Amino acid sequence: MSGELVFRPRKSAGWLWLAGIGLLIIGLSALMLLVVPPGEEGYVAVLVTSILTAALGLPFLVLAAWYPTMRYELDGEALTLRYGPVLTYRIPLDQIETIRRRNLSLSLWSSLRFPGIALFGVAYSDVGTVKMCATAALNGILLVETAKEKYGLTPADEAAFVAALQARISP
Amino acid sequence: MTLPPIYIMAVITILLSAALWGGVLYILSGRDRRLLWLLLPGLPLSAVVNLAIKRPLVLWLGEAGNVEPGLGLASPLWFIVALSFVPPVTEEAIKVLPLLLPGARRRMDGRTGAMGVGLALGFSFGLGEAAYLAWGVAQAPEYAGYPWYAFTGFLSERTAVTLVHGLLTMLVTVGIWHGGWRILGGYLSAVLLHLLTNLGAILYQLGVIPAWIAGLGLLPSLLILAFVFERWRRQAAQAGDHEERAAEVVYFERKGDEERQP
Repeated sequence: MSGELVFRPRKSAGWLWLAGIGLLIIGLSALMLLVVPPGEEGYVAVLVTSILTAALGLPFLVLAAWYPTMRYELDGEALTLRYGPVLTYRIPLDQIETIRRRNLSLSLWSSLRFPGIALFGVAYSDVGTVKMCATAALNGILLVETAKEKYGLTPADEAAFVAALQARISP
Repeated sequence: MTLPPIYIMAVITILLSAALWGGVLYILSGRDRRLLWLLLPGLPLSAVVNLAIKRPLVLWLGEAGNVEPGLGLASPLWFIVALSFVPPVTEEAIKVLPLLLPGARRRMDGRTGAMGVGLALGFSFGLGEAAYLAWGVAQAPEYAGYPWYAFTGFLSERTAVTLVHGLLTMLVTVGIWHGGWRILGGYLSAVLLHLLTNLGAILYQLGVIPAWIAGLGLLPSLLILAFVFERWRRQAAQAGDHEERAAEVVYFERKGDEERQP
C-alpha cells in the first residue's frame, strides 16, 4: 500500500467567485482612472492608487486559474493537500487522530472563503481555525485532525478516499 | 431632468449589501428564509428618524441652549457632546421598533434567534440609511457633476456600515431576549459602540483629524462587535453541538493505541 493515489475534489463553481472578485477589484481601480483624466490635479495619486488596487485583484485571478490543480495525494507516509504552488499541507498518516465529515459554522473573521471554495486557514465558530483546501466552505467538509491542526477537504469520491486513507493508517 | 449620479451607485450599493448581508443572515440562520422578511420593516426608519426626530431634536437643543448652528469647535462642549449622542440614542431605539410586529418577536426564540432578528433589523435600517443618504447627496449641487462611478467610497462605506448596524442591533435584541436589566445593558452598549463608530466622522467634521484617519473610525467598533458576535455564536454552537454531532459521520478516531472504525 505504498503507491501514490491522487484524489480530485468534488466540483464547484468556487473559482467563479475568485475570478469575479479579482475582476471587480481591477474594474474599480480602472474606474478610478476615469474619474481623474491625465493632466488633471491629483492624477498621479489616483494612478498610483489604481495600480496598487489592481495589484490586490491579481492574486484572486491567479488563484482562480489554479483551481483545476486542487488535489489530494495519498502515499504510504502522508496525505498531501495541494492547490497550485502556493498551498501544500502535508499530514503524516501516523499523526491523524480523527477523520469525520460535518457541516461547519460560519464566522465573521476574514479568510479566503467563498461559496464553493475555501483555502488556507479559515476560522469557524464551532471548530476553530481549519486549514482548508476544499471546494466547499461550510457543508459536507471532511475534517482530518491531528493533535495540533485541523484540515478540511472535499474529495469527489469520499468513500474511496476514506477507504484508501484508512487502509494506510491501519494496514 | 437627469437622474443624480449618486442614485446609480446607491442602487448598486443597496443590491450588493442586501445580497451580501442577506446571504450571511440566511446561512447564519441555518438557511431559514422566514428571517429574510425582516430585511423589509427597517427600510424607511432611517428617513423617519432623521427627518422626524433627529432634526427637530437638534434644532430644539440649539434653541434651548441658545447655540448658533455650524460653529464647530467654537460650540459649547455640552452641545458637541449632546449632538454626538443624538444619532446613537435615537437610531438604536428606532431600529428595534419592528419588534412590535408579533411575527418578529416570535423569531426571538433563543439567543440565536435574537441574534438573527437583530442582524436582520439592523441590516434593514442600514439599507434604508444608504437610500436616505443618497437622497441627501443628490440634493447637494456640488456632487452633481461627478459620474456615478466616482462614488465608490459610498459603496464601500455603506456596505461596511450596514454590517455594523446589524451587529449593533443584535446587542439590543439579545438584551431584550435576556430581559430585566440586560435590556438596558444591551441598549447602552449599542449606543456607546455606535458613538465610537461615529467618533471619526465627528472629529473630522470638527476639523480635529484628517479624512483618512476618520475613515478608520469604523474599525475599533467593528472589531469589538465581531468579537462579541463570535463569542455568542461559539456559545450557541457548543450548546447545540449535539445536533451537529448527530449529523456528522465519524470515519476514524484514534484513542491512544486503539482505533475505532465504524
